Amino acid sequence: MGSSASPAVPSPARTRTRFTDSDALLPTLVAGALIFIIVFIGYPVAYNLAMSFQEVTLGNIRDFARPFVGLENYQALVADPLFWPVLRNTSIFVITNVVLQVLLGLGLAMFFLQDFPGAAWMRGMILAGWILPPLVIAAVFKWLFASNGGLINEALMGAGLTAQPVNFLSDTATAMATVTFTNVWFGTPFAMILLSAGLANLPRDVFEAAQIDGAGTLTRFTRITVPLLMPTLLAVTCLCTIYTLRAFDVIWGMTGGGPANTTNVLPVWSFQLSFQQFNFAQGAVIATMMFALVILVALLYIRSIRSELRA
Amino acid sequence: MRARVAGRWALTAVGAAITALYLFPIYWMYASSLKSPAELFRSPPTLFPSAIDLAAYTWIFTRENVLRYLANSFLLAGTTTFVTLALAIPCAYAMSRLRSRWVDGALLGVMLAQVLPPALMVTPIFIMFRQLGLTNSYEGVILALVTKSLPFAIVVLRPAFLLVPQELEEAARVDGCTRLGALFRVILPAARTAIVVCAILVFLMTYGEYVYAASLLSRIAMQPATVGLYAFIGAEISDWNNIMAFASAFVTPVIILFILMQRLIVQGMTAGAIK
Amino acid sequence: MRITRRQTLALAGAAPLAAPALVQAQARTISLWHVFNLETEAYMREGVRDWNAQNPNQRIEERIIPFAQYRTELVRAIATGDVPDLCVIDNPDTPSFAAQNQLTDLTQRVATSERIRASVYHTGPWSTAQWRGRTFAVPRDSNTIALYINHEMFRAAGLDPARPPGTWPDLFAAARRLTSADGRVSGLMFSARAAEDATFQWLPFLWQAGGDIDRLDGPEALDALRFWVECVTSGVSSRDVLTVSQSEGVNRLISGNAAMAISGPWDTPRVSQQARFEWSVAQLPVRGEGREIHASGLGGWNWAIPQGTRNADAAWRLIEHMSRPEHMAQSWRSGRLPPRTDVPVENPVYAQAFRAYSEQILTARPRGPHPRWPDISRPIQTAIQSALTGQAPPDVALRTAATAIRPILQQTPLRG
Repeated sequence: MGSSASPAVPSPARTRTRFTDSDALLPTLVAGALIFIIVFIGYPVAYNLAMSFQEVTLGNIRDFARPFVGLENYQALVADPLFWPVLRNTSIFVITNVVLQVLLGLGLAMFFLQDFPGAAWMRGMILAGWILPPLVIAAVFKWLFASNGGLINEALMGAGLTAQPVNFLSDTATAMATVTFTNVWFGTPFAMILLSAGLANLPRDVFEAAQIDGAGTLTRFTRITVPLLMPTLLAVTCLCTIYTLRAFDVIWGMTGGGPANTTNVLPVWSFQLSFQQFNFAQGAVIATMMFALVILVALLYIRSIRSELRA
Repeated sequence: MRARVAGRWALTAVGAAITALYLFPIYWMYASSLKSPAELFRSPPTLFPSAIDLAAYTWIFTRENVLRYLANSFLLAGTTTFVTLALAIPCAYAMSRLRSRWVDGALLGVMLAQVLPPALMVTPIFIMFRQLGLTNSYEGVILALVTKSLPFAIVVLRPAFLLVPQELEEAARVDGCTRLGALFRVILPAARTAIVVCAILVFLMTYGEYVYAASLLSRIAMQPATVGLYAFIGAEISDWNNIMAFASAFVTPVIILFILMQRLIVQGMTAGAIK
Repeated sequence: MRITRRQTLALAGAAPLAAPALVQAQARTISLWHVFNLETEAYMREGVRDWNAQNPNQRIEERIIPFAQYRTELVRAIATGDVPDLCVIDNPDTPSFAAQNQLTDLTQRVATSERIRASVYHTGPWSTAQWRGRTFAVPRDSNTIALYINHEMFRAAGLDPARPPGTWPDLFAAARRLTSADGRVSGLMFSARAAEDATFQWLPFLWQAGGDIDRLDGPEALDALRFWVECVTSGVSSRDVLTVSQSEGVNRLISGNAAMAISGPWDTPRVSQQARFEWSVAQLPVRGEGREIHASGLGGWNWAIPQGTRNADAAWRLIEHMSRPEHMAQSWRSGRLPPRTDVPVENPVYAQAFRAYSEQILTARPRGPHPRWPDISRPIQTAIQSALTGQAPPDVALRTAATAIRPILQQTPLRG
């Protein structure tokens, strides 16, 4: 990676061969972005990692040399009664979100890719949901879901579907579902637009050939669309996982992790520990744990793209 | 033939229903911003404002200087999108063409770079930027914003470059193009759908970003609209009229831009399919 | 500008404090961080305006940070060393920052000040600015909570708004009559959300019952928590108390979805602007049945000078400027109460509410003051939330909280 030679000069002899990894230009191109990432993202990551092994208080947060405490912060966090519930909430929140966002995103992308008047416009309009900052979305949805005076409950009661208001956000049985719904609403356009682009890029001749061969819609979907779309699908799934894992504002704005911690997830807990309890070290431990989780997801992703077909 | 036309319009109807249902919360935001304070909290709530009250808009435009906030937002988001793509396109392209353990490692790194929420990233970034004299400057915020968008752009663009047939590129090189020449003349046009979509998403992501701008820019005159908006949302007192008006003013220019750019986006989205 | 100069100093290796010429150069502006962004915050706006008019050579450079992000930003300032010259701090947080040496000790300055003396401040607010016998802050404003009531709903339910409920049983009985059968109108809204709001609103009930934070496993605490649980399980308070902020609880009152709401004077300007019914503010009730303890919570903001600023002298003069009694007399317009005893308030805009809060605040007790207040408040919030959701019986929830808090109080007992 370090060899930053000048761009390869094409010679007639070389253009005949397939491009090889020894081509020095490609590593150079990768290097630019990668150096940026290592410098500007590596430092904050290392900073957080260091804090997770130190004793950090408001009094010494400005210093870098802080007492080293080994795994003490990790042990304290695992021993916290909130540890397993938060981990469980996080898994439920992330898995439901990713599955729904990718499936709904794919469904909407395929629907709007059909040839009908206004399709492209509508697809563009749906992206408007993704423009709003998540705290605004949280505020609007919290209002819509309010038990008394909330529009959704008024509609349900007006239609005679329920006699008493549903406590969407304040009932421990429904709070997680409600914040998940809101986050799916927020995240789906993102998956949809990326998958739309992926679908639009698929070679059309393959589909036409399949249609001539008499393949049905479902067969075409499972045999052609999904395999061809796989690189995009994997990338989108991976991104959705990471973005849901770090999603903070929607839950923060709607429930603050309540009621009774039923919607508390890793980033919310990390924020509470760091900035409400001034327990910076344990907040950093959670960041490290999120890292470990994403390493797992990313390794799966990289494993699967290894076997990916190359044009 | 007539049945097919009818079928297409039926699809339009279904699409419109989905879109309307989906966009309802945004409609609600606009409707609330136009209600009078008294009507805002009427129970049961009114679906349409019974009278248009522009007091909240008057306040945010005169006292809050929304236009300056929005101009700052566009400046930050536009520049960040440009810088991000300039860094991400070559990197993603090269990663799609290279095959080695190094690339896998780099990809893992790119994935990991996105894990920490900005709330945890910003303190160390602030410390670093202070050493470099980058706090309270647009350059600093743009760099910080690129840390968020660059890994995203690489992950999105890499599969798109993978889909561009290598034969196209080889043909160009047989015709005497350098690799960089082939990248610009063949690869980029072939992958423009993905590039346009990526640019839009990076722009929107940056436009809606709050944490970096709020922490790195303490001067109000430099701050983007999210900072002004969050000042209302995060206030001790929930001032709904102003929140809704500010949020509407925040989204509207982007929606207008979207409508104006629709043709370009649609071209991008369908061009790949026609090729 | 400032940063560049600091860097130059660092490069030159100069001891910054030993260079008077540079200190002079520093003092062209005073950086001030606060949270008061809304239209109604004339109290802060006019204080800044007057200072800037009188001190054109040393203007205030304001940075307004939303309440929700304020503490985070303050911590970041300390972590990065980029602190403002002057800031406001929520009063229960003040000892945390003071005990960790992050605030400038103001004891000497208070001793020589003509305007700021302990004797002219109410003891509650003043105590939140002290740590181990030293003064680290000066109270800017005070607040407390009381009961907003909707007169029309009272009358419709056959209740007399001139005689608001005086005891818990009265409050509950009134709330029950005011609650609508279809659940659209709650009799009483309060805030028990997973945040400081819950602690702030529940502590008055704990104190009214005769309990305190160091006896959370006692019968008084159980009594207080059971009352809240009863309000929620009987339906007179919407279950949404678990998620609404104090201000959002008042939104329910304004929209006619609640007949009574517990909140503070900060909501008064908004209620008077938006409510389309006759309303007033009543005192919080007492426990009744033999316990007549009046109590409420004390909130408010303090002025503090962070450790590390080189502009402390100017910042102190600015604190004195903002503490003028005639300026504090305006605090009511922004829904705040003056923390000083010598403030002549004439013709407050919201006269009835102002009287009610002025009376209520005499019973207000500070939270702590304790350097680990967040670690005390959090188990209380958890206990409230788990009892109200039915995840744990109130006694179990309170015992858990008491166990969590005990070692903290053993290390550093409550003061004030």
